[in-house]
This record gives sequence, structure tokens and C-alpha cells, in this order.
Amino acid sequence: MAGFLAGLLDATVAAATVFILAGLGELISERAGVLNLGVEGMMLGGALGGFAVTVVTNSPWIGLAAGVLVGMALALIHAFLCITLKANQVISGVMLTLLGTGLTTFYGSDWVGERIDGFAEVPVPLVGQYLVEIPVLGEALFRNTPTDYLALALVPLTWYLLNRTNLGLELISVGEDPEMADTMGVSVFKLRYLAVVFGGGFAGAAGAHLSLALVGNWSNGMTAGQGWIAVALVIFAQWRATRILLGAYLFGMLSALELRSQGLSVSLGPDAPLAGVLNPIIEFLLNTQIMSTYPYLATILVLSYAVIRSNSDRLAVPSALLEPYSRETD
Amino acid sequence: MAEPVFLEMAGIRKEFPGVVANDRVDLRVERGEIHGLLGENGAGKSTLMKILYGLYTPDEGEIYLDGDRLDLDSPQDAIDAGIGMVHQHFQLIPRLTVAENVVLGEREPATPFRPDAESPIPEAVRSNRVVQSVAERFSLGLDAPTRRIQRLADRYGFDLDAGAKISELDVGQRQRVEILKALYRDVDLLILDEPTAVLTPTEAERLFDSLDRLTDEGLSIIFITHKLDEVESIVDRVTILREGKNAGTAVVSEVTQADLAEMMVGREVLFQIEKEGVDLGEPVLQLQNVHADDDRGIEALSGVDLTVRAGEVVGIAGVSGNGQNELAEVAAGIRQPTTGSVRVDGTDLTGAAPRQFVDSGVSFVPEDRLEYGCAADLSVMHNATLKEFRDQRFDGPLGLDYDELEAYAETLVEEFDVRGVEDVTETKAGDLSGGNLQKLILARELDRNPALLVANQPTRGVDVGAIEFIREALLDQRMNGTGIVLFSEDLDEITDLSDRILVIYEGEFVYETTPEEADRDRIGLEMTGGGRAGGDQRPSDRHADVTAAASEGER
Repeated sequence: MAGFLAGLLDATVAAATVFILAGLGELISERAGVLNLGVEGMMLGGALGGFAVTVVTNSPWIGLAAGVLVGMALALIHAFLCITLKANQVISGVMLTLLGTGLTTFYGSDWVGERIDGFAEVPVPLVGQYLVEIPVLGEALFRNTPTDYLALALVPLTWYLLNRTNLGLELISVGEDPEMADTMGVSVFKLRYLAVVFGGGFAGAAGAHLSLALVGNWSNGMTAGQGWIAVALVIFAQWRATRILLGAYLFGMLSALELRSQGLSVSLGPDAPLAGVLNPIIEFLLNTQIMSTYPYLATILVLSYAVIRSNSDRLAVPSALLEPYSRETD
Repeated sequence: MAEPVFLEMAGIRKEFPGVVANDRVDLRVERGEIHGLLGENGAGKSTLMKILYGLYTPDEGEIYLDGDRLDLDSPQDAIDAGIGMVHQHFQLIPRLTVAENVVLGEREPATPFRPDAESPIPEAVRSNRVVQSVAERFSLGLDAPTRRIQRLADRYGFDLDAGAKISELDVGQRQRVEILKALYRDVDLLILDEPTAVLTPTEAERLFDSLDRLTDEGLSIIFITHKLDEVESIVDRVTILREGKNAGTAVVSEVTQADLAEMMVGREVLFQIEKEGVDLGEPVLQLQNVHADDDRGIEALSGVDLTVRAGEVVGIAGVSGNGQNELAEVAAGIRQPTTGSVRVDGTDLTGAAPRQFVDSGVSFVPEDRLEYGCAADLSVMHNATLKEFRDQRFDGPLGLDYDELEAYAETLVEEFDVRGVEDVTETKAGDLSGGNLQKLILARELDRNPALLVANQPTRGVDVGAIEFIREALLDQRMNGTGIVLFSEDLDEITDLSDRILVIYEGEFVYETTPEEADRDRIGLEMTGGGRAGGDQRPSDRHADVTAAASEGER
């Protein structure tokens, strides 16, 4: 059991990184007032771009950088459509996901079957090699891939950026009331572009983590809806960076559970009361196919809870989300 | 010219598609004065000020501040030149604090990077341009700004906590934050766009005190308004705009309100309305023991009896929220009474659908004209014909005859002097100014020659010219034999227009009088519930079967 738990925690940390990176990226974009439903597409782009470049250069670091750039490039399309052309953000975002899925399926077929080493798990510098010895938690917390550490470091950095810098204050004001921000000398267009493109880079990194650190290969549609979960995660987190971390671990654990529970069989002894009734239920719940739906079920539950619990006053959605801005209209 | 004036706007022209908003307008403001900018809605005041604040670029004309020519491409340019503006709709982010709202855009770096602070970072590093620009973006120092904001607030008696969130503040406090935003940027000229529109009278008094303190320190203020008594109470000199052109500049102490009104409207304005006598006809509205709930399900009307006869104006006075809206809606047929009966023109319509009220000749001017009075996104034509389009004369071979509808809408626009309509089928009702939209609604409601008109706050928030027009239109309709229920918070309007006055308090009529006998103090007392202690009987209004005047005589 301890072994299972240690394995589960280890997988949770790795799976959570996808949600942390993609969630933070979406958070930055939405705080500036631009919803980007293209996370899934940008992640696929980042995953394939990162993987292909790693195969060619044999360096996962260059691959990661390539993944980030692909994410940014895709986000730039969304930014141009929504900010400059004032297109509907929802439609543009869905389009971006379809575009990312289509492009990666088309160009990705050449890369299916290739294998790379990707990012190796390394202990935390200095103290890591001793702490790894801690039972159950050690491996999970102190021996991880560089992208896991990167994601963890980005949580406080994003919080700092949003809440403790002038740039963050301006970004939030642009997401709350672009007209007001404009009259205060804040460049609405520049900041929105910056936020969307940066957010795209985060999503690209999330995809690259998936193919370079988590799986080590490329397969079509490998994000499997995790980009959509990241969008939901931002709502769950009530647009706060620190809560993204919490939610990412919750969803990460549900994903890990599915991976790690294969072959796991739990059943009550034949003498236990109601064993005849409960055993089939337990078996059903632990069925891998069923378990793979848990993250999505959890998304629905968590969103319902978040929306019911917070009335509209407390719901922290940026006031100008989905609202294009132009100076001329008055 | 001896010394140049502080601000000079010369020959400003700004044209929007189809409209000349400003036509060679001049404005001169002296240092340390409160300069009023007076004009009807749509006279070009806001356009002129948006030009001065860098939001619009003028087509022609020049702006000089302290003798220097200004070229303003953005609000930032205006702020840099020392011009601040407080908009009518506050530009504040409720989720952020006072200090955060004030410093937004100023890029205040964290304390160790401030040039004036004690800091472990050597001066040479701090003053480095790269270090400065990184610190300005990637840090935020609120301590020193908060202290400065608090000092400013305290100095002008603003009663504000710089650390409070905007969402916790009331309207008056939010307005003071807006002023602080300008003061924090060391402006010399402050533009206030109809600042009292959102304030209670007490809050407005406080604002005026603060403005006096600001001008004592050499600040100049441009005060946009269309209220004449405000001009009289705090403005030094006033510039009047009419239809985009200068209509004169005056020293306020040397002119009367009537002079100002004439300059603003372009003709003499009748503050005294002559009301002719009219013979009262049959009752057109009879409410008996009406009880009704408000939207939250709490009883808002507790047993109201009201009879309005053809050709009679019944004015209902009261502090807002005492059941006026519910009473208006019951009379117009869009709210069901919980008990009691409603008769219109002799027919019992208790519980009938709104459409039946409309067909029985009930017209309604609702309080919220944008929300309930019109379909803001539809054209003037659609709005003008909303109640009449079922009429036979609009029947075409296939459905509606749009040419006929258009022609009818054009007649109404003409007759009721609705301005700002380029094309009745294109211009949206929501794009009309408040006064003109109200005239359009009134045109729609009156042209059908209704038996009963329910008018809820018909002149609130509209300019002097439109007020006069609307009041006269109501009285004309009275001469045509329409019974009118008039709700207004303006006691002058009630006494000028009504044949009978009823005071409503907590869902009941507590006092009845006539304009001739009306004593304002008594009405004011009754409006606030103060008259009940005297043991007066609540008027039942059941005697109104006689003539209105006679029923007054009895009491």
C-alpha cells in the first residue's frame, strides 16, 4: 500500500504540472479580459513542437523552448482575432483548439512511434539526495523533472506579477475596465496582446511537459481534454494564482489515480457483510475505463460547487472578460 | 491683451457623421475660478470637454494653457499638461483599493527604488535608466503613495480611507476618489461632468465645500451642468452652449436664472405655466382599496383609493420608494394588485392583461425610460409605433406597411421636436439624449389620445428646454380630456401641473390638497410621515365623485 501511495503521489506531481502551467497561462490571459478556449490546441501544438525539436536536436531544453514558441504563435492568432479584429472570443478560441488539433494530427503522423529520453527526474539540488529517502513522500516531492520545478516556481512568480507589480495592476485594470485603464494612460492593446501571447507560451510549455517529461512520445490528441480542464481550473481557482496550485493537485491526483490503479484490485473478503453487493460496485468504480472519466466528472462537480457557493458579488470573474475594446465607440 | 487667460479654447470645431457637435466654440477660464459650462443635453458640452481631455481630436481650433499651445492626442497628454477630468460614470475598479485606483498608470516603483527614499541600493544603481524601468514594471510601491493620498484626502476634508476597497464606498466617496485621482497627478484644471447628477442634496453640499477649498488653493474648475440653481450657488462665471455654438458667457452674480435659461434654450422659458380651467368629465381611473406587492414580494401598497376624472391632473408627491412605482404600474396594468379593483373608463379591468389596458386607452410613461420606456436597440420608427402598429392604417398587402409606419414616425418626430434623429429607420432610440428620448416616448403615448395617462417622473434628468416642452404637452393633453396621474419628486412640478395633490407615504395616501392651498412645508412633513402624529384622518378620496375642486372644499 505504501508503494502504491508513493507511486500515486509521484504521478500526481507530474500530472499536476500540466494543469499548473496551462491554468496559469489561462489565468493571465483572462485577467487581462481575454478568454482563450484554445488551450487544448495550444497544448497539442506545444507537445508536438517540443517533441519534434527534441527528436532532431536531442535536447529537451531546446524542445521545451520550441513548445513555448509554438504555443505563443498559436495564441498570437487568437490575440489578433479578438483584440485587433474584436472577434468573438469564444468562437475564436474553439477555432484555435480545432486548428491545433487538426495541424498536429496532420503533421504529427510522421512523429508517431519515435521515442526520446526527454527530461529525466532529478533530485532537488543540495538537499534533495537526502530528502528523497523520506518514505512515501520523498520520491514524489524531491525527485522530479525540471518542468515540474519550473511550474512550481511559476506559481509564486505569477502571483507576484499580478498582485505586486505595476504591470500586474495595469493588467488587472485592463481586464476589469479597459476604458478606464485607457484614460489612465495604460495601453490596453499592448497589455492584452502581451497577456494572451504569454498565456499561450504557458500552454505550450504544458504541452511540451506532457510529451517531453510525462510520456516521452507523441500520439495524436494526447492532451485528451486536459486543456479544457485547465480552463475550468481557472474558474475553480476564482482567478487566483495560488488556488490554481490547489486545483491542479486535485485534478492531477485524479489523473494519476487512473494511471496507477491498473491491476489494482481491492475487494472485501467473502465474509464481510454485503460483500456480494459491494464488490461489484467497487470493481466497477475501479475499472480503468470508468476511472478515466473521474477528472472530467470532478470538473463538473467542482464547477457546480464553485458557482453555487460564490454568489455573483464574490465570483471573481474579471468584469471585462469577453469584452473587446475600442476607443472610438462612446 | 494684458495677461493671457489660464485656459483658452479658440474656434473649436468637431464634426461627427451628420452632426456638428462643436461649431467654432470659444472657452476662456481664469485661474482659480469655478467656470460653469451650461447647455441642454446635446448642446456639445461633453464633446468640448472630451476634446480638452484628449479623448477626441478637434477638426479645427486651438487650445492654450497658460499661454502654451497644447496638442492633445490622449488623456495621458491632458494629464501631463495638468488637466484632470471626473466623468459622470465613475472610472474606478470596485475590486481594487482607493490607493490602487489612484496610482494606476503612474508606475510607482517599490520603496527601495524610489529616488526620494532611504534605501540600501546605491544612488548610482537606482538612477540607472534600465534599473528604473525594470523597477517601474516589475515592482509596485504603495506605501508612499498611500500616505500622500491620505494627506490629500485629509487636507480637503474628503473623509476617505486610502486602503479601503472601492466596492465598500458610497457614491459620494467614490466621486471624491475620482477627484483624488486628478489631484494626485497635480492637475491645475479639473473638469467635472455633471457631478451632482448622482449625489443626494447633502452630498452635493459637501462637494461644493470641497470645490471651494480647491479653488482657494489656485485650482481652476470647469463645472458641466444643466441645472440653473447649481450655477447660481457655486459657479463664478458661466459659458453657455446651444446647438454646438457659443450662446454667451456671463458673470453669474450679474444675471438671473431666467436670463441663463433664455441663453441656453434660445428663447424665453416660462417658469410659470398658465393653466386653463377645464370641465371635469367621467372618471377614467378608479382604484378601490388596492393592495400590491413590490418585486421582492413585500407589500408596497396598503389600501389605496384613487379616482381620476377626464381632464384632471392628479399629482402624487412622495419620497421615492413609498409605493409610487407600484401604484403607477397597477394603474398602467403591468402589475397585478393582490386585492382591490381597478376600473378604467368605467370598465372593470382588475386582473386584465396589459394589452387590455392599452386597448382601453391607458398610456404609460415609465420612470426608467431606457429600460422600460423604449427598446433601446431598435430604431426610432419601431419605438414610435410600438403601441399603434396593430392599427388598420398600418396594414399592408403582406403584413405591415413600413412606408406608412415611417411616415407616421416622422410626423411624431416633427411634432414633438425630437432632436438628433437622422433617419427614423436608422437612428436607435437608445442613442437619443435623455430629453429627446422622453419626447419620443411622450409622442408615442400621447398621440393615441389616451383616456388615461400615467406619467412617472416624466421630466427627471432632462434639460430645461425639454422639461418645459413636456410639461406643456401634458397640459395640452389635459385640455383634450385625458385624465393624468403624475408622479414626481419635484414639488414645483406637482404644484404647477396638478389639479389635486395627494401625498403618498408607506403605500398609503396620507394627505390631500390643491395647488392653491398647498403649503410646501406641510407637504414635506407629510411626505416623511411627520403628519401622522397630528391625528389627521387619511383622506379616502371617495368623495372625489363630486368635482375635484369641490371635494377640496369639504376638507
